[in-house]
Amino acid sequence: MKARILYRNDVLKIVDLLRQQGYEVIAPFRERGRDTFFDPVTDQNRDRIQIHLPNPYYPPKRYVFPPIERLLKIERSNGDLRIEPTYDVQKRAIFGIRSCDVAGIYHLDRFYLDREFPDIYYQKHRNNLFLVNVACTDPELDIGEECFCMCTDTGPAARGHFDLQLFDLQRTGPGDEFMAVAGTPVGEALFASPIFRKVSAEHVARRRGILEEVRKRFKPNTTSWFSAAIQYVSRGEIPEETWDKIGNRCLECGGCTYVCPACTCFTVTDRPVEPNGAERLRIWDSCALSGFTRMAGGFNPRRAVHDRRNRRFFRKLAHYFIERELSMACVGCGRCAAVCHGDIGMPSVVEIIRHSAAQDKEA
Amino acid sequence: MNPSAIEHTVPASGIPEIVDNVYLPKVAVLDRVVSEINGVKTFFWHFEDSAAQSAFKRFRPGQFAQVSLFGVGEFPTSLPPSPTEDDTFFTVRQVGSCTSALHQLKPGAKFAVRGPYGNGFPMEEYRGKNLVFVAGGIGLIPLRSAIVYALANRDHYERIQIFHGAKTPNELMYAPKLLELERMPGVECHITVDRAAEGWTGNVGVVGSLFKKEGVKVPVENSIAFVCGPPIMFRFVIQDLLGMGFQERNIVSTLERYMKCGVGKCGHCCIGVAYVCVDGPVFTYEQIKKLGEDI
Repeated sequence: MKARILYRNDVLKIVDLLRQQGYEVIAPFRERGRDTFFDPVTDQNRDRIQIHLPNPYYPPKRYVFPPIERLLKIERSNGDLRIEPTYDVQKRAIFGIRSCDVAGIYHLDRFYLDREFPDIYYQKHRNNLFLVNVACTDPELDIGEECFCMCTDTGPAARGHFDLQLFDLQRTGPGDEFMAVAGTPVGEALFASPIFRKVSAEHVARRRGILEEVRKRFKPNTTSWFSAAIQYVSRGEIPEETWDKIGNRCLECGGCTYVCPACTCFTVTDRPVEPNGAERLRIWDSCALSGFTRMAGGFNPRRAVHDRRNRRFFRKLAHYFIERELSMACVGCGRCAAVCHGDIGMPSVVEIIRHSAAQDKEA
Repeated sequence: MNPSAIEHTVPASGIPEIVDNVYLPKVAVLDRVVSEINGVKTFFWHFEDSAAQSAFKRFRPGQFAQVSLFGVGEFPTSLPPSPTEDDTFFTVRQVGSCTSALHQLKPGAKFAVRGPYGNGFPMEEYRGKNLVFVAGGIGLIPLRSAIVYALANRDHYERIQIFHGAKTPNELMYAPKLLELERMPGVECHITVDRAAEGWTGNVGVVGSLFKKEGVKVPVENSIAFVCGPPIMFRFVIQDLLGMGFQERNIVSTLERYMKCGVGKCGHCCIGVAYVCVDGPVFTYEQIKKLGEDI
C-alpha cells in the first residue's frame, strides 16, 4: 500500500477533490454533546466536518444498504404487467468512516456479494462507493466506553478494505500532519493532487508509536473473552438458562440490530402506487421482533424472546458463519452496548457467557 | 488532477459486475384453477416469456418458487409438479394476504414468479432405493413432485410406497390422482382418514396406523422415508419410523419458513446454521434435529 503525507489544513481538501469528481460526500458532524451523525456535505456545512468525534450511533451502513430501498417498480395497464428494477447509481464517498464500520461494510460485501445469488442492489451502491477511513487515534474523542475493536481485530486502524486511510500524526505547529494510505488503485489516484507529499521513515515510526499508545487506551474489558465465547457458542455449550437470562433482559425494541454495522436482515413489502402501479420495497428488519419468523396462518417456530436473542448472538458468534463468510458479523463498534436498555449488548453477552461457563466449571 | 483518474475502473470491492437481479420476477399468466379441498386450489400457469418457461422447467422435485402478487407481496410455495410433467402449477392453501390474493385471480390474470430455489430432493442419489412417502394433509403438496418423478422413472427405484392421511375423506389431497395410484401396479398406496364420512369404506386412523395395517410391510433397509405434514403428525411419524429401525439420515422432509427473498439474504428463514431457502428446504431428520427449532 502506498502512503503520503499531508498537512492537517489540507485534509478537508480531500472532500473537495471527491466532490469535484462527482461524488456525493458523506461526512461526520457533531451537534451538542454526544450527538454525532453522518450527513451529506454541502458548501454550507463543509467546514464543520469533524475528523475526531465519538462514532455516530447510526452507522454509515445505510449508504450501501438503505433502511428503505425500492427494488422494483410495477405498472399495470390493460391487463399487462410491467416490472422494472430501479437502481441507485449515485457515486458516493464516506469521509471519516471508522475502522469498525469499514469492517462492517466488508462484512456486508462478503454476505451480499460473495455467495450464490449476489445482490445487485448492494453491488451498485458498493461499486460507486469510495471509503476514506480515519484511524481512531484520539483517546478522548475517538475511543468510546463501549468500543472493543481490539477484541474483534477491526481497529483502531483498519488494515484494509478502505480506499484511503487518514492517520493523525498528532503534532502541533508547522509539522501538523496526517498520513494517508491508499488501499485501492482508486484511492491511490488521489495522490496525484499536490496536497500529498512523500513519507519519511520518521513519519512511519511516529504512526507506529501512536498506534501502540492508542491500543493501551481501550478499556480493559471482558470482551477479551470473545474468542472463548465463540468456542462455547459454536460447540453449543451455552446452557439454556444462560440464553434465558439474556432473553429475559431483552425489551424487544430491535435497537441493537438497527445500529449494527454488520446486521443484514430485511423484509420486503409492496406499496400501491396510484393509479395502477405498485412498488416493491425492502426495509431493515430485526430478529429481535416477534413477527420476524411468524408465518402466514400464525405459526411461529421461534416463540420465546430468548429464542430470538439466542439467534442473534448465535448468528454473530458461531464459527460456522464466520467460516462461511470469512468475516464475523460483529465488528466491535460497541453500539449495541450503548443503545441496549437491558444491558445485553455484545460485551455484556460475552461477559454473561464467561460467567456462566465459570460457574459451570466450579459446579 | 485528472478528473477521470478517480473513476472506478475496477470495482472497489474487487468483485465483478453482477448481471442477474435475483429479486426480479418474471410475468406469469394464470391458465386455469382447480379446487382441491376446502381452501386449497391448484393454479396452472405459464411464463409469458417462453425462454423463462424452459429455464424454469429444469427445477428439481422439492424445490420452491417465489410468487408475486404486486401490491400485496410475495410468498414462497413448493413446486408440486414433477419436471417430467408438462404443466407448471402451484397448489396453495388460502391462509394469508398473498395467498388470498392468488385465490381471487381469474384465468388470464397476470402475476409473477421467480425461482426455482432451494436444494430439492436428491432423487439421483436415491436410485436403487425403496421410497416411502408419508404425507399428512397438505403435506402431500411438496411430496407430489418427488412421487410423480419417481413413478416417471419407475425402474430407477425399488419399492415405492405412499401413505397419506387426511382429517376427512373430503380433505384427501389430489384425490382423483391418489385414488388412481391406489389401483396402479408398481406402487403401494395406502390412504386413511381421521374421521370417516358416509360412504367411506377405507381406513380410519392417523397416518401412522397404516404402518401396522395387515399386509403392509414398510421396508427399512435401503429405504428413504419422505415425511411431510403438520407438526404433530410429523413428530408421531418420526417416532414410528425410528421405532421400525429407520436411520435418522434416511428420513427426509422439507421445511417451511417465513421467507422474504428465497436467496439467502433476508435472514428470516435462518435456523441453526442453515438458511432454509438455500441450504434447504429439504433436510434429513438428522439435520433437522440439530437445527433446534420447532418443525
